[in-house]
Amino acid sequence: MKNSLKFLQYTILFAILLLVVTSCDKTIEEPLRLGYTPTFVDDKAGSWKTYILTSSNEINVLAPSNITSPEYVAELATLKGLATNLNQEQKEAVVYWGAGAVYRWNEIARELAARYNIPPASNADGKYPIPDAANPLADPKFPFANPPYTARALAYLSVAQYDALVSAWNYKYKYKRAAPSKNDVTIQVALPVSALPTYPSEDAVVAAASVNVLKAMFPGEVPYLEAKMKEHLAARKWAGMNVLSDLTAGSELGSAVAATVMGRAKTDGMSASNNQVATAAMIENVKKMGLSKTWESQEVPIRPPMLPTYGNLTTWNFDRATLIKIRPVAPPALDSEKFKKDLAELEQIHKRQTREQARIANLWSDGVGSYTPPGHWYTRAANASHDAKYSEVRMARTLAIMGTAVMDAGIACWDTKSYYYFPRPQQFGLKTSIGLPNFPSYTSGHSTFSAAAATVLGYIFPERATEFDALALEVSNSRVYGLIHFRFDCEIGLEHGRKIGEFAISRAKSDGSGL
Amino acid sequence: MKQLFILIGILYTCLDIQAQMPNDAIYMPKGTVCAGTMYTNSSWKEYWENTLKRENLNMGMHTTQSVMIMPSIGITGRFNIILGLPYVWTKTSAGNLMGQKGLQDLSVWLKVKAIDAKGFSINGLLGASLPASKYMPDFLPMSIGLQCRTVSGRILANYTHPRTGFYFTGHATYTWRSNIFIDRNAYQANDRVYNTNEVGVPNATDMGIRVGILKPKWQTEVFAERFTCVSGDNIRRNDMPFPTNNMQATTVGWYGKFQPKNIGINARISHVTNGLNVGQSTSYMAGVLYLFNVTKNK
Repeated sequence: MKNSLKFLQYTILFAILLLVVTSCDKTIEEPLRLGYTPTFVDDKAGSWKTYILTSSNEINVLAPSNITSPEYVAELATLKGLATNLNQEQKEAVVYWGAGAVYRWNEIARELAARYNIPPASNADGKYPIPDAANPLADPKFPFANPPYTARALAYLSVAQYDALVSAWNYKYKYKRAAPSKNDVTIQVALPVSALPTYPSEDAVVAAASVNVLKAMFPGEVPYLEAKMKEHLAARKWAGMNVLSDLTAGSELGSAVAATVMGRAKTDGMSASNNQVATAAMIENVKKMGLSKTWESQEVPIRPPMLPTYGNLTTWNFDRATLIKIRPVAPPALDSEKFKKDLAELEQIHKRQTREQARIANLWSDGVGSYTPPGHWYTRAANASHDAKYSEVRMARTLAIMGTAVMDAGIACWDTKSYYYFPRPQQFGLKTSIGLPNFPSYTSGHSTFSAAAATVLGYIFPERATEFDALALEVSNSRVYGLIHFRFDCEIGLEHGRKIGEFAISRAKSDGSGL
Repeated sequence: MKQLFILIGILYTCLDIQAQMPNDAIYMPKGTVCAGTMYTNSSWKEYWENTLKRENLNMGMHTTQSVMIMPSIGITGRFNIILGLPYVWTKTSAGNLMGQKGLQDLSVWLKVKAIDAKGFSINGLLGASLPASKYMPDFLPMSIGLQCRTVSGRILANYTHPRTGFYFTGHATYTWRSNIFIDRNAYQANDRVYNTNEVGVPNATDMGIRVGILKPKWQTEVFAERFTCVSGDNIRRNDMPFPTNNMQATTVGWYGKFQPKNIGINARISHVTNGLNVGQSTSYMAGVLYLFNVTKNK
């Protein structure tokens, strides 16, 4: 008996030690994204229709020196030296940036959005200080990268990347300077080399365009962004992919395109998007329409609604008259059967939320501290483009079409929210398992963003259209499961989003890409 | 008649048996079990957001309650197994965050008295825990737990004065905590975005000192404990906590037990005096203990 107890003792100890030893690896595995040779180099992309530039010639890029010129030969020699004997850090940078310029800069932007997506804390007087662009790192940090802010930041980023790349493609095929490793076969390359001419460098174009947009969107991150760009350009040399003149010409072009694109940003109405004075008229208007209970902030102290006049911003793919024409119909009256039915559904979930409902609500909540629903869709779009081995310009096109649709969705949805000023389920005694957004309920922003994005992605990746539609529907449902939206908020939001996506598609169909 | 005599003998010895915890040097004799059922109520109004101590009007008072069953089993007089399984539920007095509830983590402690001489003992404890249900770990502070699998090693030294029962205990623990998987496919921690659902939860240490009196029928002690994660990030300004946070807390409290017969009661009061990324909680615990013998009488 005593022996068997001892045996039991040792067996249990051994089993536990085994568990410790075998499962103590705490490294976090993230999907690895590697460089590839694009399936199509898209050699005609220099003639694709740009968003802001009048044409791909608008910004001039000077002809490069001849490949037999002493300057270029000297550049090749320097490159050969830089691309050998890389240390570990340099090798890692080469692999990281090798995944793609548009891919990485979009990822960086999403990360910034997540880091800045925190609502200001109330101060001692019960007021919420407004983030100050001139003092971005003070508390509260500027910006508060909420969904509308992030939708806009990422749209300008993608448009600048796209316009810059279309310009770059124009000059690439005008000057036809082959890759350094094709002019000097002794140059070691660490990444796949395609037939794409390398002057101006597409990586430098994207880096400069991105940095210049992001500096304006996240003014507290200037040193971080500059360090990232420096590393990106250096990585191109370490990889043996670009000589200095490829990179310099690319940086200059990218910066110039970004400056032009940001010209639109300065006048799109964003600076007037937080006009709290306008809310009194909104409430008055909706009361006239017969709504007895209007939206009220559920926070303590009462927080003013998020960007109530964001709905006035300039849209990308349709005009103001169209925005008003496609504005959703009024939500069901509070005493209607439809309203009672959808409230009853929420009450049922409130009583007995299943783990699966909680999972879906949590998966798509993309709330405070996240890169927001627009960021979530950019992740999907960038990964789909990467999986399909898209060229830089084709990936940028994908993100710009989707991104402009997503920003349009934000504008149109915020217009709807302010127009109907409809109460949240929490004003009817319900709690939430994800956190309550501080703006009116009708229609659901998540649903509108997602349907717009999924509609565009279904056009670009027709073989995956069903999958994207199903995801958009799941996002939409997640807001019901999380108890912060009525089902009609979500259903109508989805419908609205699909229409908005279609406008982006009709522009894309006529952009000269033939895609 | 002889059997009756033996039965009385067992009852008598039972009265000398002490219910025990993973943080004392008390052992159940071979073949005896003490089944404890404890109710705990822990609440806080203020918390440390990083180092900033604040309240949150959108939560008001945050309360965690639990009922735990905790059998301690005497395998031998120097080797005990202690099991624990709590049912936990959370709520806030303000705001609109939904309370969470469910079975939390099943834990087991193996407790061995390694050295025992003249009232002085050194004890080794090995603990492990496993989540007992699929509760959501990243809806903090409403989540009922972190979904980690854990393994802990604890060393516990005790001196008990044989005649007076006055004792002094010191213990130190290292807890290894597994990575967890959340519902989201990306999250922010350590100032960056992780594009995965796998989350690294920092390992933790804790230590404590306890001074008290242990008598056959009762026990009273005061204690101080310090819990520290060995790494981790801080709650961002005005954001919610997250499982990667470096949580730290200093707790002081009192524990007492009264067990005149097979049935007894115990209670604990504790208060967090200092912390990082945790609530300044005040906790009350009250439990019922039931001792019984499982081996056949010889």
